[in-house]
Formats: sequence, C-alpha cells, structure tokens
Amino acid sequence: MSATTLPARRAPIRLRVGFGEAAGFLLVGAMLLLMAMGEWIAPHSATAFNPMHTLEAPSFSFPFGTDEFGRDVFSRVLAGARPTLLLAISAAALGVVLGTVTGLTAGYRPGAVDETIMRVMDALMSFPGLILAMLVVVMLGPAAINVVTAIALVFWPRSARLVRAVVVDLAQREFIEAARSRGETSRFILFRELLPNVLPIIVVDFSLRVTSGILLAASLAYLGIGVTPPTPAWGLMVRDGQQFIEIAPWLVVWPCLAIALASIGTVLLGERLRHKLALPGGGRAR
Amino acid sequence: MQALGFILRRVALLAVVLLAVSVLTFAIVNVLPGDVATAVLGDMATPEQVTAVRAALGLDQPLAERYLRWLWAALQGDFGRSLQHGQAIAPMLSGRLGNSAILGLITLGIAAPLAVALGVVAALKPGGWLDKVIGAIAVGAYALPEYVIGLLFILAFSIWLPLLPGSSLMDPNENPFSRPEALVLPIAVLITGMLAFISQITRASMIQVMGSAYVRTAILKGVPRWRVVMKHALPNLLPPTIAEIGMYFGYVIGGLVVVETLFSYSGLGQMVTNAVSYRDVPVIQAVVLLVAAAYGIGNLIADVAALLMNPRLRS
Repeated sequence: MSATTLPARRAPIRLRVGFGEAAGFLLVGAMLLLMAMGEWIAPHSATAFNPMHTLEAPSFSFPFGTDEFGRDVFSRVLAGARPTLLLAISAAALGVVLGTVTGLTAGYRPGAVDETIMRVMDALMSFPGLILAMLVVVMLGPAAINVVTAIALVFWPRSARLVRAVVVDLAQREFIEAARSRGETSRFILFRELLPNVLPIIVVDFSLRVTSGILLAASLAYLGIGVTPPTPAWGLMVRDGQQFIEIAPWLVVWPCLAIALASIGTVLLGERLRHKLALPGGGRAR
Repeated sequence: MQALGFILRRVALLAVVLLAVSVLTFAIVNVLPGDVATAVLGDMATPEQVTAVRAALGLDQPLAERYLRWLWAALQGDFGRSLQHGQAIAPMLSGRLGNSAILGLITLGIAAPLAVALGVVAALKPGGWLDKVIGAIAVGAYALPEYVIGLLFILAFSIWLPLLPGSSLMDPNENPFSRPEALVLPIAVLITGMLAFISQITRASMIQVMGSAYVRTAILKGVPRWRVVMKHALPNLLPPTIAEIGMYFGYVIGGLVVVETLFSYSGLGQMVTNAVSYRDVPVIQAVVLLVAAAYGIGNLIADVAALLMNPRLRS
C-alpha cells in the first residue's frame, strides 16, 4: 500500500479534501438529475390542488407534508430543481460567454476600444448585483428568459474584467507576437491563441457564477420577481410558505434545504476545480 | 499632499460613476419594453388611453430632454410621484433611508471587526481545528441566501425558543431603537452573511503575511506571538482588507433588501420590493439611484480609510 508511505501529518488533510470533493460531486450530480427529470420522479403533481389534504404534516404518503392548497411539498421540491437551477446555469453560461468575448476584445485592443468597453462594464458594476437584476426583470416583465438575461447582465462585467486582466498580460507574450507576424487574423488570435490560455480561468469563473446564480435566482424568486405562481421554484415556495411558518414549518424548511444543498454542492465542486487548475483565490462570486 | 490628491481624484471619479449610474437607470427604465404608461393603466388599456397617459406624464418628449429634466429634479430632491400611493416620493424616502442605514451600519460595525478577527484566528494555525470550524461556517454562510439563514434564525429563536420577535414590522417614521429587540435577528442574519467572505479573505492574506520574511524575523527575534500578529502583521493587512470590504458593500445592500423584506423592516429595501410588485416605476428608479449612490459613497469611504491606514501614503 502506498498510503502507508505518506507522511502521517498529511493524511487528515487529504481525507478532508476528498470528502468535500465527493460531497460536491454527489450533490451536483443529484441536482443535475433532478433538474433533468425531477418532474417525472415526483410521486404527485407539483401544481394540482388537493383540498382534502391541506397543510398536512409530513407523513408516509406526503414525506415533506402538504401546503395550503394540498400540494405535495416533496413533489414540488423535486420539480422545483429545474426552474431554479436551469436559470442559474443558463445565466452563468450567458454571462461568462459575454464576459469572455468582451474581456478578450478589450484586453487585446488597448486604447479606445478597451477604454470604451471597460467604462461601460464599470457602469454596470456600480449597481449592487441584486438591485440591477431586480430593475431589469421588472422592466422586461416576469418570465424565465428575462431572469436569465438580468442575472447574466450582473455577471457580464465581472467576468469581462477577470478575462481582460489575464489577456492584457498574455497579449505581451511572444506567441502572440509570433502569431501576429505570421499574419494571423485578429479573430484567429483571439479565439485560437488567447482563448485556450484563459480557459481554465473561465471554467473556474463559471463554477463560481453558477453558485451565485443559484443564490441570485433564489433571492429574486423569494422577492416575488420573475417567476410567478404556481411555478414550484424554491425561492417562491419559501416566499409563499413563510406566512405558515409557525403552524407548518415544513413549507419553508424543505425548499430552504434544497437551495442550501444545491449551492453548497456547487461551492465544494468549484473549490475543488480551483485547486485542480491551481489558480489563486478570488472567490468573490456573489 | 499625495493623499489629498488621491481623495480628490476619487471624489471626481465618484461623480462620474453616479452620472453613469443615472444614465443607465434611466435607460433601463425607459428603453426596455414596458413603460410607465402601461404600468399605470395595466395590460387592458386601449392605445388611445396609453397615448393620453404618455402625454400627461411627458413620455412623448425626446429621451435626452426627459433624462435631463429627471436628473435636474432628482438633484433637487424631487423624485416625482409614486404611482401606487400618488404622493411625492422624496418624503417617503427619508425615514426609510435612515432605517436602512441603521441596519447596514450596525452590521458593518460588528461584522467587519469580527470577521477580521475570525480570519486572523483561523490563519494562526492553518489546517487546525479552529480553522476548519471557521472555514465550514464560512462556506455555509456564503452558500446560503440571506432569507434561508433568516428563516432558520426565526425558527430557532422566535418560534422554538420564543426569545426574539420574528418580525420587525413598524411604521416607516418610527424610531427603530424604540424596539431594539426587533433589530437583533435582522442584524444577526446580515452579520452571518458578511462573516463568510471577509473572514476568508483576511485568512488568506494573513497566511501570506505570516510567511513573509519580516514576520519570520520578528518571530525569530523572540517577539511574543500576539505582538507579532497585532503590531507587525495586522497593520499591513488592514488596508487591503478594508478596500475589499468596500467592494463588498454591494452584497450588503442586496442582503438588506432581502432581510428587510423577510422581517417586514421599513427600509429602502422593503420599499423597493413593494414597489416592484406594483410596478411603481418612479419609486424603483428613485430607490435604485439612491442605493447606487450609497454603494459608490461606501466604496469611496473604504478606499479613503484604507489609504489613511497605509503609512506609506499618509505622509
């Protein structure tokens, strides 16, 4: 066994990282599964009213209890994965893609292009994230696609700034010089030379954005912005269940737990990814 | 002298940022589909009604002119009238601004030193059990939205153990200090949210500083450990940490919106979520502008404080 040759002092640390990694994988895997097929696994309908069973405590037939309309909370939590996580993942992807393209362009073109782009990004960043997202969804109207747009708009300048900072440095290197003297097009240099070099940073950034996307989407839903009843989005379930917290705490406890597990899973996995790709800290994700 | 120049430049920058924010707020509200006239009338309005309301509200005038007029009025403290209540917005803002400021400032005042202290303690023995416990709490606090933490606190401290009120419902002009017990849970939630980020940043920079040559020299010289931490490491660590805390104000503001809504606390955050459910666009516009201004000023104060603590730039 090679494990016995390891210095004894390192063992607990390895164990801890391994546990976090395993938990992260497990949680994220379970969440993705729920996102894909939560609606079908659910034993009951997530939206159909059932006046015979209102506000029932958790039991064998309703493991998480029922809400004020008799809907099965367990089924709603399962079905709620999609309206919460899909929004977060799409928004993170859109924001990071926009930020990457913008950051590549700004970083590679110093001067007027860079200045103009980055000042616009600065202006976007001078709003607190939740406030900007709120404003955009309110103006665009309540729809999932608008929530995705709004959250992506929050992420865009932050990703752009990150990518730009790396590209400004890379653009000075010899391999870019070489590509330029070969007469490569800007597009080739941006996407074939620079992009592969910033990819690890983009991947880590994306994982952080997914976490903050879950938090932002859940917070917007909790504030009643963007998703409308009877969508079983977790944040919305908490909002609606809050008035019954004294008599039926299960209405808020289970969706809260779902949000917590989803975001903790992505945090753990993102943390691991950052270690694997050996990047310095910078976990400012929210 | 150098410091004064920096502060002046920073103030000028703030003015530019605020101008950009006002342009963007105005643009988002007025260029995106769904304007104030449809918000007033609802979806069932006829085109003639919409045209009439647009004319009455001055929405048929050129965009640039409307922007300048709106900005000019806002600078004089006139934010227009609320669609929902029909009254002027400015008087509605003042009491709530104060209430939000009380919540935010108390949180900062407790959370910032506490988080720095936790970060320092965690960094004294990286990988030790204290570090692990603080790290685990930080991950939890970071990964949970404020309302989840808040509802857990309400369940624990106001329902299972009926110690504190689970709601801070009050009149907007009531003095929040008249019922200090109603402030405890909202502030506790906001503090928990803030601890995560600042403690981990402090920990990371502390570990770095403790590994640096001058700190090792001090330790080898036989300076007591607490003195090394307090007198040698910490002064070097504080300026960047304070600047980072400034960057974090935006999240505190987001947290305030959620926590005020959760506890029905009469602040700007609750005002804006109410306005959102009625699509009360002038109110939203006013609060967003005010909040962005507060964010910018908070950043400025943090930068200046960081500068004043940096002995190299102070002279």
